Amino acid sequence: MERRVVITAASAITPIGHGKDSIVQSLQNGVSGIKPLREEALLSRFIHSKVYGTVDYPINYEFQRQHRKTMAPCSYYACQVAKEVLEESGLAPEFITSGKLGVAFGSIHGSPITQWNIYRSFFEAKDNKALQTISAVDYLKSMVHTTAVNITKMFGITGRVVSSCTACTTSSQSIGYGYEAVKFGMQDAMLCGGADEYDTITVAVFDNLLACSTAFNDDPQRTPRPFDKARDGLVVAEGAGAVMLEEYEFAKKRGANILAEIIGFACNNNGGDMILPNLNGISNTLKLGLENAQINAEAIDLVSAHATATKMGDIIEAQAIANVFGNHPYVVGLKSYLGHTMAACGSIETILSLYMMQEGFIAPTLNLEEVDERCAMINHVQKMIRHPVNIMAIQNFAFGGVNTILFVRKFA
Amino acid sequence: MTRQEIEQEVKNILHREFEIENPGMDDNLREVYGFDSIDAIELLLEIENFLGSELSQEEKKQAMEIRTINHICEYIEKIAQTRAAAPAT
Repeated sequence: MERRVVITAASAITPIGHGKDSIVQSLQNGVSGIKPLREEALLSRFIHSKVYGTVDYPINYEFQRQHRKTMAPCSYYACQVAKEVLEESGLAPEFITSGKLGVAFGSIHGSPITQWNIYRSFFEAKDNKALQTISAVDYLKSMVHTTAVNITKMFGITGRVVSSCTACTTSSQSIGYGYEAVKFGMQDAMLCGGADEYDTITVAVFDNLLACSTAFNDDPQRTPRPFDKARDGLVVAEGAGAVMLEEYEFAKKRGANILAEIIGFACNNNGGDMILPNLNGISNTLKLGLENAQINAEAIDLVSAHATATKMGDIIEAQAIANVFGNHPYVVGLKSYLGHTMAACGSIETILSLYMMQEGFIAPTLNLEEVDERCAMINHVQKMIRHPVNIMAIQNFAFGGVNTILFVRKFA
Repeated sequence: MTRQEIEQEVKNILHREFEIENPGMDDNLREVYGFDSIDAIELLLEIENFLGSELSQEEKKQAMEIRTINHICEYIEKIAQTRAAAPAT
């Protein structure tokens, strides 16, 4: 049994805004969410990269203590976007708790802020009182599936839980596996996404790999620069994104506002190096995606590239796009606005692309001033254009050699 | 430590850590305030801080019978008396 799967709600907390209006405004006005890295009295002073994609505006959370007690910052983000998506979807409370709705949600490694505090207790332990500084809820706050199960707890969701934690493909897998769960009849709806909190550990890791941007520390908004000749690495960021996926007939019957349709998903592995991008692996992902969506490459209007702005990653991705899709589809690197929102990037970039599809525009890749000739064989967007988007591809790749692609079609 | 002092401190803990305002002494904590197993463990840590000594595993098991604020106060009173009778070495 294969069923059609539609998106009926979407919400994101990002460095360029919270909710559709502010995000669209930022995309249309070339607003960057990259800010100076905050000092945290631990690692930040030693990190060479001094930039971060920052959520620096207040968010009006209204969570009760019984829910807050197991929530770290990543779960605040996750539960807020989940709440907004549940409200927007208009799903009835009895359906939400029926077992027919599941959750696919993750973060790259739970809550680093909570883990800092646990490690502090370990390293500073002088007597048995140190054990008491680790709270009964610290594990619940920091475990890898903390975002997913804080969502199920808050809203009484009783369906299946999938909690991918595949670094940068975490939430693209959430959407992909949610899509498959609905498509093959295992759930009638899935709430899918990812979230990551402000985290300098990730910056330190990429800094050590020489993958972080360092040349624009004094001018944060000029980095990252996907596909640009002067790009010098990625910028770590925070945020969250969530979408509601529903089986089409169910959504139609209840009169849901259908935003778009998911028509394909593919995921594979490079089967080798944990870090280096792999042309064969990524090209295969794109081909598998086309097969799964049952479309030709000519049908694709827009590609949301993973495009982290690393030296090699962008070149390999451009080559893969050129080899499999050709130079017809427009290509945008949305991390140029946000930075790399890690676990959230697949869902946030899907949502931003969805907004562009809805509003009929394509935002340019920010900071793409001079295209690297090694990335020049694809159709870059360097200024905002008004253009209808019927079918789009959202690409994400992760450490460990995991690759994903999602295909989304305008609902007509 | 008088019963009145214990009651006041328990109310302070419930206010500070559990956001429970003006509770009834015989209210069922689970039914009225949604107190759950995580809260019970957090409460035991607070009681240890208040008493200034660690609770034994046996004492912690006894706490599983607690249902109301009066039960909490009785529990603390009993432990405090035990400690006073046989001070920790």
